[in-house]
Amino acid sequence: MASTYSHEWRAVCDKFNNAQDLSEVESRKDPENDPFRSKYKARELLREIYCSLKNFDVDSPAGSRAAKLGAVEYYLGVNHVETEELSAGEEHLMNCMTLLEKCSISPENVSLFIQVRNQLGILWAGRDEIEKAQGFLETAEAMYIRYMKEDGQPPMDLTEFFVAEEEALPQQERTKRFEMAYTHTLYYLAQVYKNLEQYEKAGGYCHSTLQRQLEFNQFLPLEWAINAATLSQYYITKTLYMEGRHCLSAASVIADLAGEVPSEAAAQESEAEAEKRDQLRQKRAEIARCWIKYCLNLLQDAKKLLEDNIGELDMDRQAELRATRLKEEEEKERGRKSAVLFGSSDTFDSICGLEEKVSCVFPVDFEEARAIFLVGQTYVNQAKEYFEMDGHVTDHIEILQDHSALFKALAFFEEDLERRCKMHKRRVDMMEPICKDLNAQYYLLVCRQLQFELAETYYEMMDLKLAVANKQDDLDAHTVKKFNHLCSSSTKFYQMFLDSVRSPEGKWPEKLEDEVLRPALVAKFRVARLHSRLISSSKTIQLENLNRSLECYNFVVQYCKDNPEAKSAIETELELSEEMVSLLPLKINRLQANLASSN
Amino acid sequence: MANVKVAIRVRPLNARESVAGGRLAVQVEDKLVRIRNTKLDGRHDGPGESREKVLEFGFDYCYWSVAPEEPHYASQEEVFQDLGVTVLAGASEGYNVCLFAYGQTGTGKTYTMMGTLDSMGLTPRICQGLFKSDDTFPEGHNSSRVEISFLEIYNERVRDLLRGREQKKKPSLRVREHPEKGPYVQDLSQHVVSDYKQAVDLLEEGIANRITAATHIHDTSSRSHAIFTIQYTQAILEDNLPSEIVSKINLVDLAGSERADPHYCRDRLTEGSNINKSLVTLGIVISALAQNSQMSSSCQSINSVASHTSCLSGGGGGGGRRHCFIPYRDSVLTWLLKDSLGGNAKTIMIATVSPSSSSYNETLSTLRYAAHARNIVNKPRVNEDASVRLIRELREEIDRLKRTLLSFQMQLNPSPSLSDQRDGSLSDIVLQNELKVDELTKDWSESWRDKKELLEQYSVDINRDWGGFLIHSLLPHLITLDRDVLSTGVTFYHLRVYTIHNLGY
Repeated sequence: MASTYSHEWRAVCDKFNNAQDLSEVESRKDPENDPFRSKYKARELLREIYCSLKNFDVDSPAGSRAAKLGAVEYYLGVNHVETEELSAGEEHLMNCMTLLEKCSISPENVSLFIQVRNQLGILWAGRDEIEKAQGFLETAEAMYIRYMKEDGQPPMDLTEFFVAEEEALPQQERTKRFEMAYTHTLYYLAQVYKNLEQYEKAGGYCHSTLQRQLEFNQFLPLEWAINAATLSQYYITKTLYMEGRHCLSAASVIADLAGEVPSEAAAQESEAEAEKRDQLRQKRAEIARCWIKYCLNLLQDAKKLLEDNIGELDMDRQAELRATRLKEEEEKERGRKSAVLFGSSDTFDSICGLEEKVSCVFPVDFEEARAIFLVGQTYVNQAKEYFEMDGHVTDHIEILQDHSALFKALAFFEEDLERRCKMHKRRVDMMEPICKDLNAQYYLLVCRQLQFELAETYYEMMDLKLAVANKQDDLDAHTVKKFNHLCSSSTKFYQMFLDSVRSPEGKWPEKLEDEVLRPALVAKFRVARLHSRLISSSKTIQLENLNRSLECYNFVVQYCKDNPEAKSAIETELELSEEMVSLLPLKINRLQANLASSN
Repeated sequence: MANVKVAIRVRPLNARESVAGGRLAVQVEDKLVRIRNTKLDGRHDGPGESREKVLEFGFDYCYWSVAPEEPHYASQEEVFQDLGVTVLAGASEGYNVCLFAYGQTGTGKTYTMMGTLDSMGLTPRICQGLFKSDDTFPEGHNSSRVEISFLEIYNERVRDLLRGREQKKKPSLRVREHPEKGPYVQDLSQHVVSDYKQAVDLLEEGIANRITAATHIHDTSSRSHAIFTIQYTQAILEDNLPSEIVSKINLVDLAGSERADPHYCRDRLTEGSNINKSLVTLGIVISALAQNSQMSSSCQSINSVASHTSCLSGGGGGGGRRHCFIPYRDSVLTWLLKDSLGGNAKTIMIATVSPSSSSYNETLSTLRYAAHARNIVNKPRVNEDASVRLIRELREEIDRLKRTLLSFQMQLNPSPSLSDQRDGSLSDIVLQNELKVDELTKDWSESWRDKKELLEQYSVDINRDWGGFLIHSLLPHLITLDRDVLSTGVTFYHLRVYTIHNLGY
């Protein structure tokens, strides 16, 4: 390029540098009442450059002049968009597109080809024309792929259109900038697909964006790790456990790159260290919480696959799952090879190492379930170290609830009823004291959740106690006492939940709020059942319990009569309650008659 | 009784708007707000906004404060009479109350919340009300304690507005949760006040501090949230035992609505189609994705109001709830007001808008946001187990009871579950008869159509009665029970007609 050395060309290059500086650096200092001052100045310079280029001789290689003009149009377009003049911006960007039509893709201009489409993608997305944006961005993606396949040498950066040859960027820098532009294309596509509700595609593009950040070493470890951990949660909800585990392992490994947690002593010395300590501990604890959810969902999903219609382990389903798992394993292995994997050369092994510590397939028996449970429990302890009760009440309790849920899922796999009962006891032990200490004025919802779960857990234990006694055919006084105790405890917590619905003066609302409608009626329904299950040898007490039971069933029926819109929320329970309301009097009368005759 | 109330207030036109022609885009009628797009000049940047359209939103309260001379002009006092009084009533009942002002910068949030010297806003009026209601109690009988704190959140940093200059070292206060006392700001100064004057002095001190800061950091007031908190403790005698009712009133002057969304990170992306340009925001996209996918996977869950019977069938493995953890960056504001947004607090939001057609877009977005405010407030649900076993057991019991019933009807032996009481005592027979009557009534009503003719023919009427049924015959008659114990037949003998009718089976 002969013109490169000319005096005029020097002037153009200087102007361009000036414009860049104004636009990128100076503009940040612009006052609030004149926010685009530097941008406007930059725009003037760009216009001048455009005029000079137009007047330049035409001896440059074919297409080179068009590409240069296109680049100026591109910068003008971006400038207008940034100063909120979208239509003008669009015009310039489209001019750039037209100029590029004269060129074929080459290392000199491929960057421009992609970046102008990125900009048009953003522009149209902002106007709510997502499909149009999608078109530009997908073309950009295809161009990158084709270029890398057919040429692949590090292309020139846009700024290099306007620098002297000796100032050309090193290859490495060129690659970095080009790849970054493409990373942005992928990131925009992720958002476009998300807006188009193509969530799977969006997830894939987020994944690729993360992967490329890692590959080209453009990330902040903590931020990247949190993003990967969050992405794992997306995969978990889609039951893609292999992908979820991969994200989590990468998150844990990359988070470690953020450095050592400053000691408490160091944190007391300086504010910066204190902040760093808090950040590191918090983010790592958050990643641990993502791991907990991984383990928990894996166990719960396996349970769903294995349980029969009354929630017990089904042997046939177990055998079936074993068989399909074997078949799927090979396919998975193949799928893994095609999946986008995270990791640079120095992190890849640690990521794989971490993955091997926990399975990503559904557990089929107690041993397998226990292995997953234990990993989950380790993360529970890790997360609790940061999210202490003192200062992080809701977070701490959420973690405890997960711990309890882990126990519950594990109990499903446990065949020994006594041991199963002990697992539920562990749940009670971790939740009951907290439920007592918590102020419902501030933590109403948490209190309610704990009350409900405690009531359910006691119910479960009561059933198990009875099942054990039945097996041994031995219902001694001690067992009966224990059974009744569990029964009353369950009732007590349902009752506490129901009391929480009352107003401060203790009045029942005429109409239950949506979010408590079903739980409250279900609680009433279960209390009804619990009353009738208490064991007593005294007929008077039996009668009392049955009457209470009837009262509760009646409440459910009456409430639905008064509020017909509630019916759909508790269909099954209502149907059963109605039957009990019509049938229970029979039992009561019977007992009454019996009592009368024995007196 | 909803725990969230939403109010809208329309401010007067400002000088600039009046000069520009002062066309109004907003109309208020009772509890409705109508907004008309009058931008017909075709000068629009967004696509397809040129057609005139009227949108309507409903709220709990709508205040038209555009011109004082208009008949339905809503003054500061009127606003207080509705919202302020609700706040005070809630607090004295022992609820935590939270009052937000939401809206674009310059729409009168601060005027509504704080007011001016000669036109006091909600905050000073509420303080006034607090001490006024105190005086109505007989001397010495009641005592209450009022503590005040005032803070500002700017750029996710919490600053105490009532702390003297000497303790300015601490850069940002930390928000924490206490199991007994709820969310709190560590080291935030609390000031006990005993009369209205002291309260207002603190309020003014805080506002002054906010303004001082504003000269250093440009335009702070529109970018920061201010929370004026009153802790109100009432000492009462309950059954002759001393006890305390503690309630907290949070009066929140939110930053301009463009930055005020308490769920900033979460909702930003779900609404707009704007593309975030910087990779720094990748986290927001991923969070939104995970959030969305969690919601769609939990819509079938047992804890949602909808379908649950399908979940009771168990197994299946399909849908089902999958709860995940999304470590999105919760804003300080959301954190601090957690209990107001999700607990058993009473929450009131007052959204302020400009009436001018030039603010059409801003006003519309504020109205939309306010209309959704009820959903913005967290409505998390109680997780509940399907408990298939309980339902199965109950079904079994019902079947058992039904069998018992059937066996009575057939006059067979009592069912095994009752076999231990086989003695047929007199009361048992009465019971059995009652049951038979019940059953009869039921079946009868089913074949009512067929029988109706017959009944009319013989001038007999049958009605349900408590625990049985009642037969009216318009003609004199005799009744006999069938000799056969197994038969339930009742025979009517009309006295003047020498025929016999058999009713029943």
